[in-house]
Formats: sequence, C-alpha cells, structure tokens
Amino acid sequence: MSLGTKKFVITRFDPDRDTEPRTEEYEIPVQSDWKVLDAINFIKDEIDGSLSYRWSCRMAVCGSCGMMVNGEPKLTCKTALSSYGDSLTIEPLANFPTIRDLVVEMDGFMDKFQKVKPWIIQAKERAVEEGPQHQSPEDLQAFKQFSMCINCTLCYSACPVVATDPEFLGPAAIALGHRYNMDSRDEGADERNAVFRGEGTIFSCSYANECSEVCPKNVDPAGAVNQAKFNAVVDWASSFVVKREKE
Amino acid sequence: MSRAAHPDAMSPAEPGRTRTAPPQKPASWPSHPRMRVYTLFGWTGVLYLLIGFGLLETAWSLGQGEVVWDAKLASFSHPAYVAFHLLCLVSVVFVAVRFFRLFPKSQPARIGPAKPPPRPVILAGLYAVWLGVTALFVAILSGAIFS
Repeated sequence: MSLGTKKFVITRFDPDRDTEPRTEEYEIPVQSDWKVLDAINFIKDEIDGSLSYRWSCRMAVCGSCGMMVNGEPKLTCKTALSSYGDSLTIEPLANFPTIRDLVVEMDGFMDKFQKVKPWIIQAKERAVEEGPQHQSPEDLQAFKQFSMCINCTLCYSACPVVATDPEFLGPAAIALGHRYNMDSRDEGADERNAVFRGEGTIFSCSYANECSEVCPKNVDPAGAVNQAKFNAVVDWASSFVVKREKE
Repeated sequence: MSRAAHPDAMSPAEPGRTRTAPPQKPASWPSHPRMRVYTLFGWTGVLYLLIGFGLLETAWSLGQGEVVWDAKLASFSHPAYVAFHLLCLVSVVFVAVRFFRLFPKSQPARIGPAKPPPRPVILAGLYAVWLGVTALFVAILSGAIFS
C-alpha cells in the first residue's frame, strides 16, 4: 500500500570535490511496508546512482546499514518508514569521520576492538584428544547477551563520551571484552582487566545509558561496561591477595 | 548536524588515504528528552558543590563566636535558603531514582559462587533502604529518638 511521498534530506560528501558535507533533497513515492533502507535503495536505483552507503543483509544481522535518521542512530533495515512524518534527515553515523556520503571510517573502531583481545585466551592450548569443552546453560547465560552484538556501532554514535574523548574504547569493544571475561572457557580476564583499568576505558564511562537505548539487538552495553567496572576493581583488589603468574 | 565532535573521535591510529569529513555529534542531542535528563543529571553536581561551600562556611562560622553563630542559625530560615534546600531535595530524589534505575543491571553476573538476586528485588531493596534511612533521620531530627 502506498504511503504517498516523503522527502529525504541526505548528507552528501565527495572527498575529491567537497570541502565539507552538504545535503541533497529527494522526494520519492514510498510504500507502507518499507524500511528506511528501502527508500535509500530506491533513491540509489532510480534517482542518483552516485549515493554511497553500506548495507548487506537487510535483516538486522550484518550491522552495516547504521545511519542517523532524524538525528538518532538507527539500523535502517530495521527502522520502519511509517513511523516517521513527511520528511526524514539521513546522515552518516555521528562521532565518526565520514569517508563519502553516508559511509563512515571504521578503522578507528577496529583499532579499539583489538585492544580488548576479543578472543578466547587459554594458558595452554587444548588438545583435540581432550574433546569439546562443555559449558552449562548457566555458563552460557552469563555472557550470551553480550555476544549478540553485530558491531553496527550505533552505540558509538549515541555515546557522549565517544564524542569528546578519542581515547575511550567505547561501548561495543568493552562489552565484547566483558563477554570474553564472563566466558567459562576463557582465562584471559587478567589481561583484559589490565586494559580496562587503563586510561580511556571503563572508568571514562559516565553511564549516560544511551548506548543501551539505541542498541538494535538489546545487548545492553552500558550494563556490560558497568559490570566490567565492578569486576576490574575486584580483580585489582584480589591481586594483592592472590599472586598472579604473569605478574 | 549541529555541533562538531572531537576532531579525533573514532579516528584510526593510521590515517587512511582518503580525506574524511570531521565527526559530528548527533543533531538530536540538545532537544532529545533522554539527553536532557542526562544533562540535568550532570548539572546537579553544581548544587552539591554549593552545598559543600555552605557546609564549610557554616563550620567556619561556628568558630567565630556566639553572635556570628546565632546569625548563621537565623539565616537558615531565610526564604532563599529554604527554597535552595527544596531544590536540593528535588535534585537528590532525581539523582537517587536515576541511580536506582541503572544500578541493578550494573551488578556482576556472579561473585565467585554467589549470584545477585533478581533485578526487581535489588530495586525494591534500594527503595526500602532509602525509605528506612529517611525515616530514621526524620525520627532523629524530630526528637522521637536519641533526644
């Protein structure tokens, strides 16, 4: 069913021609079952093929179609067009440098990601003959929520600390580090907690809770960051009592 | 977008080959209800700073003799002083409610073998302790106990 027409004000930026981002307006016919991404795809397919943006799965799994819709970070494949009025403003994700149009620079995010060592660390590699390492449903429950992150980086766009402190590791990276700390198979919590206690990490978080408000997968990164604060303090205090091998 | 974010926000350690447009804060922040609450929460710090100065000044006047101290006590009934403390009361309630809302999910999944109680129980416990402590102070200040 047709919803009539809507106006889209889209940020454009060509690094070869533009000194700074500008906007272009497109008025297009839209359908009632469209997501915001469908409208942007329509503009690219039918009106302006030069419009650049990222998208892939169209089902809120790949995390690549994050954009600012009317000033709020949204996964555009999951955001119904019918919930907006006659005019929408589409911008690249806030708090990120823009490469072109709606495409943002992700390398800074990947740099932060690697710092939290987002992989299972074990002191001794497990032999194949030892068989699978079992986890109870309770073990899984301890970290499952934080493993649902799709790295869409909406939380970085919503975070007031990311906007002002370039050193801040940010919600998704800390949540992922916390996820591995909570994994019963992992033995790397000491290493990650040492990272977490450094400058620009968990204690830079002012608990605005915006990351959790905008998360499209209900990961609750703010909860993870603040649980990580508690665990890092306990880890630091216990280091006076229990001697660590690596220390 | 309305305001520039830190120019190095989310910048890679090694700059890419393409020139980029600088990062911007979300345009919705100044008007968004959640961000207004967060900003208001930050501004409550100013009130607590003023209370701190007031406490220091009161302690100082205690050492300046009976006349100064009596004048200080009399100033406590000034309408401006009462209004300021009513504002502080509203602020404390606002900060407490916000803190209570966020506190339960900050609890670790477990500490050794111990697991925290369900979040509604933590929340109810926080309010119960708050009401209990408030009742205790009211009883002390009204002279009902320890008089």
